[in-house]
Amino acid sequence: MTEVLDFKPAVTQAQDVLTIRDLKAYYVNDMFGVRREVRAVDGISLTVRRNEVYGIAGESSSGKTSLIKTLAGAIRPPMRVVDGSVNFSFGDTHIDVYAEPEKMKAARWQNLSYIMQGSMSVLNPVRRIKHAFNDFAFRHMGLDRRAFRQRVESHLQKLGLDPNVLEAFPHQLSGGMRQRVTIALATVCEPEFIIADEPTTALDVLVQQDVLGLLKEVQARLGSSVVFVTHDMSVHAAITDRLAIMYAGRLAEEGPTQAMFDNPQHPYTAHLIASLPRIGDVSTRKSLAGKPPSLANPPSGCRFHPRCPIAIDRCSKEVPEMLPSAIGGRVACFRAGEVAVK
Amino acid sequence: MFKVLRDLLRYNREFLFGSLLIAIILAVVVASYFAPYDEMMTYAVIPDMPPGSEYWLGTNSRGQDMFWQLAASMRNTLIFGIVVALISRVIAIAVGLISGYVGGKTDQAIMAFNDTLGALPNIPILLLLVFVLRDQMTWPVLALTAALLGWTHDSRLIRSVALSLRTREFTRHAAFSGMRTTQILLREHLPYVMPIVFFTTMNNLIWAIGLEVTLSILGFSDINRPTIGGMIYWANAHSAMVAGIWWWIAVPMVAVVMLFIGLFLLAMSVNEYIDPRSRLARMGA
Repeated sequence: MTEVLDFKPAVTQAQDVLTIRDLKAYYVNDMFGVRREVRAVDGISLTVRRNEVYGIAGESSSGKTSLIKTLAGAIRPPMRVVDGSVNFSFGDTHIDVYAEPEKMKAARWQNLSYIMQGSMSVLNPVRRIKHAFNDFAFRHMGLDRRAFRQRVESHLQKLGLDPNVLEAFPHQLSGGMRQRVTIALATVCEPEFIIADEPTTALDVLVQQDVLGLLKEVQARLGSSVVFVTHDMSVHAAITDRLAIMYAGRLAEEGPTQAMFDNPQHPYTAHLIASLPRIGDVSTRKSLAGKPPSLANPPSGCRFHPRCPIAIDRCSKEVPEMLPSAIGGRVACFRAGEVAVK
Repeated sequence: MFKVLRDLLRYNREFLFGSLLIAIILAVVVASYFAPYDEMMTYAVIPDMPPGSEYWLGTNSRGQDMFWQLAASMRNTLIFGIVVALISRVIAIAVGLISGYVGGKTDQAIMAFNDTLGALPNIPILLLLVFVLRDQMTWPVLALTAALLGWTHDSRLIRSVALSLRTREFTRHAAFSGMRTTQILLREHLPYVMPIVFFTTMNNLIWAIGLEVTLSILGFSDINRPTIGGMIYWANAHSAMVAGIWWWIAVPMVAVVMLFIGLFLLAMSVNEYIDPRSRLARMGA
């Protein structure tokens, strides 16, 4: 089986690993004859390149988790993919997630792994850590028991964990160690694509930094792509190469993280960034009035217009398209670049 | 394991008392394998002897030594209870886990059946079956019938836990990594519900023994095979109380009460040990 493991092509050029085209995934509820659609993912197109950390930011209920569940092919009713496609290309294997579910199943863990939200509870509380590795990763590695164990132990050591944690129960580990174990679990098969759904939420800032460093290091060593989801803009600033801002199920802006922080094009991005505290700045942070719209009944036109300080008439009538922005990304705003948050 | 047992014996008086009672019962059961004569035999000893040095628990009007009779009865009754408990545990676990994890229409269908079965009164059904089957109603058939009636409450209990487990992250993780449903149920969820299963097993054992005693007292079982209920049946048939042979009634009654109290105390203390809230209360938190 080693040939299969060695088969992964070397990281060379920035090719696209993930391509999403006009993806629409709705929670469809048919209750008492009333059909209700919650448009959690509503027409999103994006690409993730090899060897990059791609951030997805947005408020709670902006559809971040729905988006990544959809792209991992891990959706369950009542959620449904209504339109669009998700394509992965791992080396020579190309997978259309919703057309070839069997191929996708084989790729999971081997090529694509998932660090789930609330990953503190990813480990079964009544089973030892080694069983988690056996259950989740063993069959994807194609090794015999002993080689697998050695592989897991050396992998844990690389991540700064004592191999003895394999014999421990989850409650015997600290929060940071558990998080490390979860990351080890997700990366032990050396996947090309890692989805991380808020892996640092509920950790204190020191452990958070530690975990981010670890994730970055693993990513650099494996040369894999990471989709990193969190609402915490400071985490995005620290770890991501490119950043996408989601608002009410749609992308508002996408671009290189640094350029976006320096020069946000979308008014919503500008507000998210302005809400970050900076050392030395003692002025009160302004919050954006209002709350995210209901995805069952979103506002017309640009979904941000009811809260947008610089909205014009056109914003409530037409839906802005994602167009190339001045900083080398894309933005969906009729007044892109005219941002004034001071 | 041994440390847990030692601590329970040392700090939990219910557990100590319960295990003492069960130990006595088990000693009697073991003794049944060393009986000097066949348990079915009648007029093996002098009838109607009161308890004394020669016959510890006396003899009955059928010429049987009450001690050996009790030993055999206890063994048969316990085996019946354990068989019922084991079979019904398997059904309860399977139904509870599948129903809770699969959910949706399957869950509704299974639970509708479950609740219907649970609502039916057990004794009349068993009596009906006894009348229908008559001679074919041997104890294994009776045990199977009782097991098929005795799982409904516990499967609901297990299902309620499985309902919560299916939404936990580790279940989603397992499903995402490609584990099959049976694997998820057996390897991820079963260890989680095991403490509940242990606890309900003891309750089920008590229920099954009670059922057996009830049916046997009424004579609805193989009356020649000694059981606790069967002993009382024969005592009634010979009007033991009127004849003044009180030990014939007293021995099985005391024994079965000991068994019930022992099992109940064990179940209670084990439950208390498993439930972290009551364990904390015991520690004085």
